[in-house]
Amino acid sequence: MEPALELTGVGKTFGEVRALDAVDLTVRAGEVHCVLGENGAGKSTLCNLVFGSAALDEGEMRLYGAPYRPRRPAEALRLGVAMVHQHFSLVPELTVGENLLLAERARLRPPDLTGRVKAIEEEYGLAVDLAAPVAGLPVGERQSVEIVKCLLRDPRLLLLDEPTAVLGPAEVRALLATCRRVAETGRAVVLVTHKLGEVERAGDAATVLRGGKVAGSGPLAGFSRDELVRLMVGRELADLDPLLAAGLDATEAPAPRTPRETAGEPVARLRGLRLRSDHGPDVLDGVDLELRAGEIVGVAGVEGNGQSELVAVLSGALSADEGVFELDGVDLTRAAPAVRTAAGLGVIPEDRHHEGCVTGMSVAENLFLGRLREFRRFGLLDRKAMRAGAARAVAEHGIRASGPDAPLHTLSGGNQQKVVVARELALDPLRLLIAAQPTRGLDIGAVDAVLTRVRDAAARGAAVLVVSSELAELLTLCDRVMVAYRGRLLGPVAPDAPGARDEIGKLMLGAAT
Amino acid sequence: MRRDLLVYGGAVLVAVLVGLALAAGGGAAPDVAGRALWDGMFGSPYAFGSALNTTAVLALIATGFTIAHRAGLVNVGGEGQMALGGIAATAVGVSLPAGTPAVLALTALLIAGFAGGALWAGVAAWLRVRRGVNEVITTLLLNFVGLCLVLLAVHEEALLRQPVTSADTLPQSEPLVEAARLPLLGPPESPATIAIVLAAVSVIVAALLLRHTATGTRLTAVGMSEPAAARLGLPVGRLQAGSLAVAGGLAGVAGATLIATVPYVLAEHFTSGYGFTGLVVGLLARGSLTAVAGISLAFGLLASGGINLQLAAGVPAASVQVVQSVLIICVAGAVIFRKGAAR
Amino acid sequence: MSAFAELVDGGVRLAIPLLVASAGELVSERAGVLNMSVEGIMLTGAFAGAVGAHTTGSASAGLLCALVAGLLAAALQAVLSVTLRADQIVTGVAANALALGATTYGARLYFTEGRTVPGFDPVALPLLSDIPVIGPALFDQSVLGYGCVLLTVLLAVLFGRRTGFGLAVTAIGADAETADRSGLPVNAVRFGAVLLVGVTSALAGAHLALADVHAFTDNLTAGAGYLAVAAVIAGRWRAWPTLAACAFFGLAQALQFAAPAFGIHLPTAVLVMSPYLLAVVAVSGLVGASRAPAGLTRPFAREARA
Repeated sequence: MEPALELTGVGKTFGEVRALDAVDLTVRAGEVHCVLGENGAGKSTLCNLVFGSAALDEGEMRLYGAPYRPRRPAEALRLGVAMVHQHFSLVPELTVGENLLLAERARLRPPDLTGRVKAIEEEYGLAVDLAAPVAGLPVGERQSVEIVKCLLRDPRLLLLDEPTAVLGPAEVRALLATCRRVAETGRAVVLVTHKLGEVERAGDAATVLRGGKVAGSGPLAGFSRDELVRLMVGRELADLDPLLAAGLDATEAPAPRTPRETAGEPVARLRGLRLRSDHGPDVLDGVDLELRAGEIVGVAGVEGNGQSELVAVLSGALSADEGVFELDGVDLTRAAPAVRTAAGLGVIPEDRHHEGCVTGMSVAENLFLGRLREFRRFGLLDRKAMRAGAARAVAEHGIRASGPDAPLHTLSGGNQQKVVVARELALDPLRLLIAAQPTRGLDIGAVDAVLTRVRDAAARGAAVLVVSSELAELLTLCDRVMVAYRGRLLGPVAPDAPGARDEIGKLMLGAAT
Repeated sequence: MRRDLLVYGGAVLVAVLVGLALAAGGGAAPDVAGRALWDGMFGSPYAFGSALNTTAVLALIATGFTIAHRAGLVNVGGEGQMALGGIAATAVGVSLPAGTPAVLALTALLIAGFAGGALWAGVAAWLRVRRGVNEVITTLLLNFVGLCLVLLAVHEEALLRQPVTSADTLPQSEPLVEAARLPLLGPPESPATIAIVLAAVSVIVAALLLRHTATGTRLTAVGMSEPAAARLGLPVGRLQAGSLAVAGGLAGVAGATLIATVPYVLAEHFTSGYGFTGLVVGLLARGSLTAVAGISLAFGLLASGGINLQLAAGVPAASVQVVQSVLIICVAGAVIFRKGAAR
Repeated sequence: MSAFAELVDGGVRLAIPLLVASAGELVSERAGVLNMSVEGIMLTGAFAGAVGAHTTGSASAGLLCALVAGLLAAALQAVLSVTLRADQIVTGVAANALALGATTYGARLYFTEGRTVPGFDPVALPLLSDIPVIGPALFDQSVLGYGCVLLTVLLAVLFGRRTGFGLAVTAIGADAETADRSGLPVNAVRFGAVLLVGVTSALAGAHLALADVHAFTDNLTAGAGYLAVAAVIAGRWRAWPTLAACAFFGLAQALQFAAPAFGIHLPTAVLVMSPYLLAVVAVSGLVGASRAPAGLTRPFAREARA
C-alpha cells in the first residue's frame, strides 16, 4: 500500500535560517507517526508545510500517492488533511457550535451538526457542549473541540502539533488514547512532540529532527530511549543533567536532588489574593503562599487555572481585587512596577516578546531600560557607559549577539531570554524572582543556561517562584510544588516524595488533598 | 536601504507624473506650469519668504507628530490644535497693554499658543490614557470642533471679533498689538519671520531629546512595546500623554506664528490645511528629524509654488494636495517591500 | 411644519447617508478592516454622481457613475489595506485628502457654469406619509433614499450573527489566523468587505449630492464620513446601537437648521460643531476598548516562521 504522506528532500528557508533541509518522511495509514525533536528543530515548520500555512522551497510531497502541494490551509483541508494546533484554532468570541460550523461552512446545517457531533462522541468518546462559548472553556475541553473540529471533516491525515504542551497528565493520557483510536480507523496520524514518554506510549514509528535535518527514522520498536535522546539532542542520556532529561520526559522518576538548606527567613507573603472576572468565576480565588529565602517553589497546573494571572498580579500588570502581597514586610499589592523592582522583585515574564523585552531595541537598551537614571551625564544619556555595562553582561551570561548595540530581534529566542534573565538577576537586592514558563520554546542549551541562573538566584538567597507547564522540570528543580486549580493553589507536594507525580496529576484535576 | 531609496524615488516619480498630468489637465503646458511653480517658490523675495513661513509651520507640526509617534501615538489633530493655539495666541495678542516689551509679548503669545494646542491634544491624550480611546479618531473629530471654535470666536463680538461698525466688517479679530508681531527676518519685501528660527530650534531640541536623553529612549520603548515598558516600570501613561500634549503644543505654536504674521489677525480658515500637510511631512519623515526639516522645506516651497500655479497658470491649487496625498499613499503602500529588505 | 417635525425630517434626511455608509463600514470593521476613507469615497461618489447627472441629464446615470467611482476608490483602499498590508489609518486619511484635492480640482475644471445638477425627487408613499410628524419624515424620501434604507436592512439581515456570512466575517475579524486555518478565504472576504464599503459610501455620497442638495460643492461631505466611522465605534460594532448613533448624529446635524424654529438662538458655529462634539463624547463615553474586533486594522499574511 502506498504511504499516506511522503516527503522527499523537503527544504525550507526563512531569511538566513535553514529551517528544514532535505527532509524525508514516510507516514502510513493506520499508524501514529511521531515527529520528535527539541525546540527549533523544525517540527512546526514541517507541520505548516503539510497544512499549507507555508510553502516549501524545494523537494516534493505526496498524499496517498498523488503529488501534494497545498498553497493554503483551505486546500489542505479539502484534500483531507486536518491539523490540531498547539494554541488551538478556535475563535474565542464564538460558541463551540459556531466554531464547528465555521469549519464546515455552508455544508452543514445546525441540526446535522448535532448528529455528526453525536456520532463522533460515540466513536471516540469526545464530548463537547455545542452551546458553550469557547472563551469560558478550560484548556482540555478546548482541545477536545479542536479535535472534533478536525474529525468533522473526516480527514485522511491528522496532524497534531505539540498537543500535550498545555495539558495535565490525565488529559495527556486521554489525548494519546484518542490518537490511537483515530489511527485504528485507518487514518494516518502525525504526532509532533518533544516528549519521549508520549512517543513510547502512543507511537508506531518515529522520525527525529535535529537542526532541520532528519537525524533518524523508522519503527519505534527499533529505537531505544537512549538512542532517541542521542538523535534528538546529540548528547548521551547518561551525560544529560537530570533537569534537562526531565524536560524531555526521558526519565521515569525525578532524579534525586542534592538536598539544600532551604529554611531561610520568610521573604514574601501572599494572603487571600483574589482577582474577579467579568464573566464567570474568580480567576484568582484566594491565593495564600509564603516564600522563604533560598527556596524554589514551583506552580504546576493545566494552563488557564490562574497561573498567568497570579504572575500578572505579583508583577503589577493586573491589580488584585482583594488580598495582600508583601515583600520583606512591605505591602506591594497596589504598588507600581517600578516600586516592586526597587523592592527587589525580579520577573521573567511568560510572554517574552510581548512583555519581557522590546525586540526593536538594542541589547544594551533592553538591559538598562528600567535604570536609565544611572546612565545620565549632563542631562544626556551616557551611551558609552551603557554599552560597557551591556558588554559585561553579554560576556557574563554567554549571550550570543553581534554586540551590545544589536537589536534584540536579531538574537535567537534563547539568547533573548538570556537577556531578560540577565536584566532581572542584576537587581540589587534581588529578594524574590518570579519565572513564568522560563524555558518555553527554548533549545536545550538555552534551557540549561536559564535554569542554572534560576538556581543560582536561589543559592544567593533569593526566594524563587517558578510557574511552568513542564511538570518534570518542576519536580527536578523545586523544593516544593504547588498546583494551580481554578484560581487556587493546592498542595504543597514534596517533589522527592514517592508518587509525587501522580499526586500532582490528581491535584491538577482538583482532587482534595 | 537601497530598497528605501527605490521606494522613495518611485513615489516621487509617481507624484511628479501626477502633478504634470494635473497641470496639463488644468490647461497649462509643462513649461508654463514649471515656470509658474518656480516663480512661486524662488521668483521673488515675497514668494520665498512665504515659503519659509509655511516651512516653519509644517516643521513645527511634523516635529510634534514625530515626538508623539515615537511613543506609538498618531496625532492627526494638527489642524484643530493649530486652531486652538491660534485662538489662545490671539486672545493674548490683542489684549496686551500697548507698552509691553516685544520679548515679553512674543513669549506670552507663544506660550499661549503652546498651551492652547497642548490643551486640545490633552483631551485626546486623557481619553487615550484613561479610557483607552484610540487617539486617531478623537484627534480627528476634535479638528472639526476646533475649526468651529475659530468660526465662533471670529463671529461673536463677545469673543474675539473686532467691533462691528458696518455691514462690511469682516468676521475676524482685531489686529495684534505691535509688540506681539513676529519680527521679520530679512528685507521688508519678504514676509519671512523668525518663525523659521523657532522651528529650527524645535527640530534640533527634539532631535536631541529623542536621540540622546533617557526620556527619548523611554518614549521609544513605550512606542515599541507598551506592556514591556510597563513591566520595566516606565510611566507609560504619563509618557504617552506628555508626548501627545507636546505634539499639540507645537501645533499650537505653529498656529500662533500664523496669527503673528501678516495680516496679524485671527480669521476663518487661517489654518488652511497645514495641519494635514504637517502630518504628511511627519509620516514621510518616518521618525527622522533631519527628514522633517528637509521635507518641510520642500513642501513649504511646493505650497507657495502651488498658489502661484493657480494665479499664473490657472491650475487649481488643489493639485498640490493631490500630489502630496499620492506621495504618502505610495510610500505607505510600499511598506511590505521595505519590510522585505529588513529580513 | 412644526418645529419638531422639521427637526425629525431633517434628521432623517441627514441620517440616511450616515446609516448606509456605516452599515458597510460595520461589516468591514467586523471583518477587521478599518476604512477612514469612508469620507473620501463618499466625496468621490458625490462628485462622480454630480458629474454623471450633469453630463447626461439623468440622475440614475449619475448614480451609476457614483457607484463605479466608489468601487474604484474602494478597490484602491482594499489593495492598500488588504493586499499590500499598509497602515489602514494612514492610507485612509491620505485617501481622503486625495479625494478632497482631486474632486476640488475636478470641480474647478468641470463645473464652470453653475453647480446644480438633476437629482432624485421625493416620492411620498401613499397612506404612510400621512402619519403625522414621522410620516413625511420617513416616507417622503427619494427613490435613492429608500434604496439606501433597503440596502442597510439587507446588510443587517445578511450579516447578522446567526448567518453563515455573519459567522465567517466575525471569525475573520476576531482572529484571521484561526479563520484561515479553518479554511476561510480571509483576504478575499476582507477585500470584498472594503468593496462593499465602496458601494455603501458611494450611495451615501450620491444621496448627499443627488437627493439632498442637488449640487456639488467643494468638500460637500464635510466630515460626514468620519461621523459614519464614529457611529460604528460608538455603536460598539453592533447593528442597533450603530443605527441609533447614526440617527443621533443626523438629528444633531439637523438641529442647525431647525434650531430657530425651536426658538433656540445659538451661533451657527456651535450648531455645526455639535455632531462632532457628540461623536467625541459618544466614542469616548461608551466604548470599552475590549469590544473592538480583535483583529481590527491588523493585516493578515500567512507567514509561518521557523
